[in-house]
Amino acid sequence: MHMPNEILSLPVAGGSFAIAAVGLGTLCRVASRTISSEKASLMGIFGAFIFAAQMLNLPLPFPPGASGHLTGAVLLAIVLGPAAASVVMTSVIIIQCLVFQDGGLLALGCNIINLAIVPSFAGHTIYHLIAGARKTKFRIYAASIIACIAATILSAALVSIETAISGVIAVPFVTFLAFMSGVHFVIGIFEGVITASVLAYIYRARGDLINGVAGGSPRLSKAAFIVTLAGATIIIAVSISLVASAKPDGLEWSLQQSTAVSSESIETSTPGPANGWTSLAAVAGSALTMIVIWLVSKIFANRGGGKCITP
Amino acid sequence: MAPVISINGFSYRYPDGTDGLYDISLDIAGGEKIALIGPNGSGKSTLLLAMGAFLHGHGSIVVDGVEANKKNAKQIRRAVGSVLQNPDEQLFMPTLLEDVAFGPLNMGLGDEEVLRRSMDALGIVGLDGMKHKAPHHLSAGQKRSAAIATILSMNPKIITMDEPDTSLDPRNRNNLTSLLKSLKQTLIIATCNIPFAAALCKRAVLIDSGKIIADGPVEEIITDEKLMQSHGLETAAIPESIDF
Amino acid sequence: MHHTVMDHLSMQDTFLHRLDARSKLIAVVVFTIVVISLRRTGVGIIAVSAVGPFAMLLVGRVPLKLAALQIGCLCPFIMIIAISSAFYDRSVVTIAFGAYELNTTQGAIGAVAIFARFAVTMMAIIALSATTRLSDLLAAFSSLGLPKILVMQIGLLYRYIFLIIDRACHMLGARAGRKLRYLGLRRELSTSAAMIASLFATSTQTAQRVSDAMMARGFDGTIRSLKKSTFSIADTVFLAAVCAYMALLLAVKGVI
Repeated sequence: MHMPNEILSLPVAGGSFAIAAVGLGTLCRVASRTISSEKASLMGIFGAFIFAAQMLNLPLPFPPGASGHLTGAVLLAIVLGPAAASVVMTSVIIIQCLVFQDGGLLALGCNIINLAIVPSFAGHTIYHLIAGARKTKFRIYAASIIACIAATILSAALVSIETAISGVIAVPFVTFLAFMSGVHFVIGIFEGVITASVLAYIYRARGDLINGVAGGSPRLSKAAFIVTLAGATIIIAVSISLVASAKPDGLEWSLQQSTAVSSESIETSTPGPANGWTSLAAVAGSALTMIVIWLVSKIFANRGGGKCITP
Repeated sequence: MAPVISINGFSYRYPDGTDGLYDISLDIAGGEKIALIGPNGSGKSTLLLAMGAFLHGHGSIVVDGVEANKKNAKQIRRAVGSVLQNPDEQLFMPTLLEDVAFGPLNMGLGDEEVLRRSMDALGIVGLDGMKHKAPHHLSAGQKRSAAIATILSMNPKIITMDEPDTSLDPRNRNNLTSLLKSLKQTLIIATCNIPFAAALCKRAVLIDSGKIIADGPVEEIITDEKLMQSHGLETAAIPESIDF
Repeated sequence: MHHTVMDHLSMQDTFLHRLDARSKLIAVVVFTIVVISLRRTGVGIIAVSAVGPFAMLLVGRVPLKLAALQIGCLCPFIMIIAISSAFYDRSVVTIAFGAYELNTTQGAIGAVAIFARFAVTMMAIIALSATTRLSDLLAAFSSLGLPKILVMQIGLLYRYIFLIIDRACHMLGARAGRKLRYLGLRRELSTSAAMIASLFATSTQTAQRVSDAMMARGFDGTIRSLKKSTFSIADTVFLAAVCAYMALLLAVKGVI
């Protein structure tokens, strides 16, 4: 789930950006050490592969017309190792933000943490814990499905936490968390089944690929995973206790009760008639400006200034 | 003239156990333009890869006085520029200029020298006006020329090319032929397009099943109907003179 | 496909296209920060903040229809959040617009404000990506200190999207050509998995040959690039205009 800018507050956006930058800097160093120079191209092309794989949609029986697709972080982490997978998924997220406008520019930090770093490490570790050394078909399926469910729910939980700390939207944290986790539980099963089918196919047909490519020792990432998990648990615990202390039953927590936001929203909730006229003037003035710019651009366009460099 | 490439009893077996090349011996003189002809899967590309030190087998390959082994790979690749079969795989940088500059930058040259060499190389292939274009905006013929420019900018003594004429229409193929003719480097071209080989090279080496079948002047080999047909190739008339 | 449209638009030649990628990137980031920091729900301030990106779209000759469609395509998630947000904050407020006064809820206003801000920042990022070639953005990233390996990954990713998505489309076409009905989840799943796996295998082969091409040109894991700087007077003018506009937004923030 790509987060847009608008559900984040500036401190959360800035903070997550800083965390993502530090994490990514470290991961880039790890990736350039563990991935040999011959595999540098592999990472970039796997990024493009993830894009294309996301296009190969799978028609679902219910609801009619619905289809799902792979997101790929766990698959990449299993194949490339968690550090390289994080870097590849980050490049996918940056392209999705810049070229496809999916996910906000200020939310990049959050999106990199939620969709690249956390699922790569969590997915990789859980998969290897369950799949073990002897990979039977059953184990591959079980491990991928559980790893994908865990990774997607962890991402969803992070989205809810970041949104709750931001306090921009009024949906209560617990409700939002329950909703996001529920949806992502289903998405996770789906992701897991596809990941497992692809992995089973690769093990069967092209076993050399995985063995030749995989980098990063599971033991190292197990430590990293435990640290991540501990961090995530602390964050969840702190936010839940915050929510609980703000309103004992926790469910009816809303924007008004949150002290930081309520002062400002109360201020805006009492616009007088005078305020009405200024906002009318602002809207009218802005609309007029836009019309003028549009007309000017039309005039210039008709004079044939817009040349395309390429055919 | 001393050979720039000297191959002596070279054999290579693929990791899966099939024979790739068997007892290849070949001397190539400086400035020569050689066509490696043979059917698909005959070992032409494998031989080119071996010359670029991408794979290592038994026997010896000496390039410009240096033994082609893993240790000398970097040195070998300065002498041998390999143009791969698919330009889409050769052009991997965001813009043409960055792509052509990739090799010289890796050679450790300064920015000015890199820029000069890159622009020279683009000038030779006639793409200097398109230096800021992305590879996916080039036509098939332009991509082929660009792929050659990425190697020319490194100024290698020897250039190997794998099927450079594929997916080109006749006009683009003629342009390519005249471009390659104008190069002064030693050229080793793998192709199964016999007229193309005849128009470009004086010497032909026929390879099949990983062995050298024939080696000699191009007109003798490609007009030998029995030889050519038994190896799945066509004969071609030698062009009297080629107009470009 | 959206990326080919954006790629095509970014090859135009306008004032915005000629600017340095860094100045556009910085301008859009600063603009987004300012818009997000406007926590007030007034419609006036959002209208004023829409003028800037709107002007960028027009100057950069980006079709407004394309921008509108893209905003429409990507809005469902924020819509769900904004609308559900409205249910949780039902404190009644009166809003005034000109001579009209309207009783509504705080949540409803908040929802509209979130969506309006979303549209405004979307316009800005569309204007950025439709007027800047990705190669220029990458150069901007590396001069702004992004790790080189990441910049290279993004470059390779963008380069090979065009190739591999083509392959994926051929596969989809082949599947559609041979499959005339829904086959049941199990077989659909194994077909999809086989397609993805085969795409994976061809991607690996492509990667191997790209790697050969890199090695052939002396790549040893260290990424080197030409230094280039294209910062011009136009960039200074543009950034000055952006600063003035931001100052205006912040100044009127408390008033409208």
